[in-house]
Amino acid sequence: MNFETIYKTYWQKVFRLCMGYANDTDAARDLTQETFIKVWKQLPKFRNESSIGTWIFRIASNTCLRQIQKDKKMPKSELPLEIKDDILDTNIEEDIQLLYQYISELQEVERIIISLELEDMNQKEIAEIIGLSEGNVRVKIHRIKEKLAQKFKKNGN
Amino acid sequence: METNIDLKKIWNTQKIETPNVEILYTKANKLKSRSFLKLILVNITLLLTITFICFIWYYYQPELVTTKIGIILTILAVIIFLLPFNKQFSLLTKNKTEPNSKEYLQQLIKLKEIQVYQQTTMLSIYFIILSLGIGLYMFEYVSKMTITWGIITYAITILWFAINWFYLRPKTITKQNAKLNKLLVEFEKLNNQMND
Repeated sequence: MNFETIYKTYWQKVFRLCMGYANDTDAARDLTQETFIKVWKQLPKFRNESSIGTWIFRIASNTCLRQIQKDKKMPKSELPLEIKDDILDTNIEEDIQLLYQYISELQEVERIIISLELEDMNQKEIAEIIGLSEGNVRVKIHRIKEKLAQKFKKNGN
Repeated sequence: METNIDLKKIWNTQKIETPNVEILYTKANKLKSRSFLKLILVNITLLLTITFICFIWYYYQPELVTTKIGIILTILAVIIFLLPFNKQFSLLTKNKTEPNSKEYLQQLIKLKEIQVYQQTTMLSIYFIILSLGIGLYMFEYVSKMTITWGIITYAITILWFAINWFYLRPKTITKQNAKLNKLLVEFEKLNNQMND
């Protein structure tokens, strides 16, 4: 698969994962960009040890986790998309904003796990990305979903 | 299970325009050349220092053994400074395939620990060897001066070393380690979430 196909296929997915982690459009966009720069650099070395999706999500997940290293000097997106961004932000439906907010209240690792689950990765793949056992992932997903359901219920949904 | 379907449906409503891939290429190339430039600059500066010192050795043909030991120690100090800098660079780039997040966090923790070690131990060793080297190197030339000038020269040099050792070195170490230790705590926290 060439890079541009990968970029087109996975950009939205990676962005949603980063959004789940950061709950901030600018930050998520930066994280997504950083992820794809890494994908672009490492693609020649990729030898199909895992599926391409698993590999890309590993990079994305690690990029998110490493983010605290730069939190203090978090660069605002250098992309000239700021204006568009504002419009989109206000148009996002209330539900999705709530979902992002509830996810952002979870622990960091939980945020990644639930984002991957919502991105339709199966538990085996999530286990491979995060480095936990499948059983452990299953338990965690169950727990996280309960937490989220409770939050939604509290809010009257 | 109802919540499951709902969540996924909500999740998938998030749509945002995919930015042009060209922007990414530009950014990636900029980053690449910047970090490469830094590596090259540091190495060239230090190599030039070494070349300059060797040139002095060759040109002035020092007679005393202290001068020669001084020169060797100075070069050694430069190399000691250079080695971890280059190693740190390769640690970050030489990863074969992307590790899973658990391994990745552990690697980050290890990397930070190495950096803490470098900042404390290596920096001190660097200062000691460099001071010793310069001190020994100067001896031959100072011994040709009058006693007063010799004392003044060494006094100034020692004062300079003292400022480095008692003021600059601890300050650098504290500052760097505070930053690193904070990150270490954060990474440990994330790592612990894995084991919950």
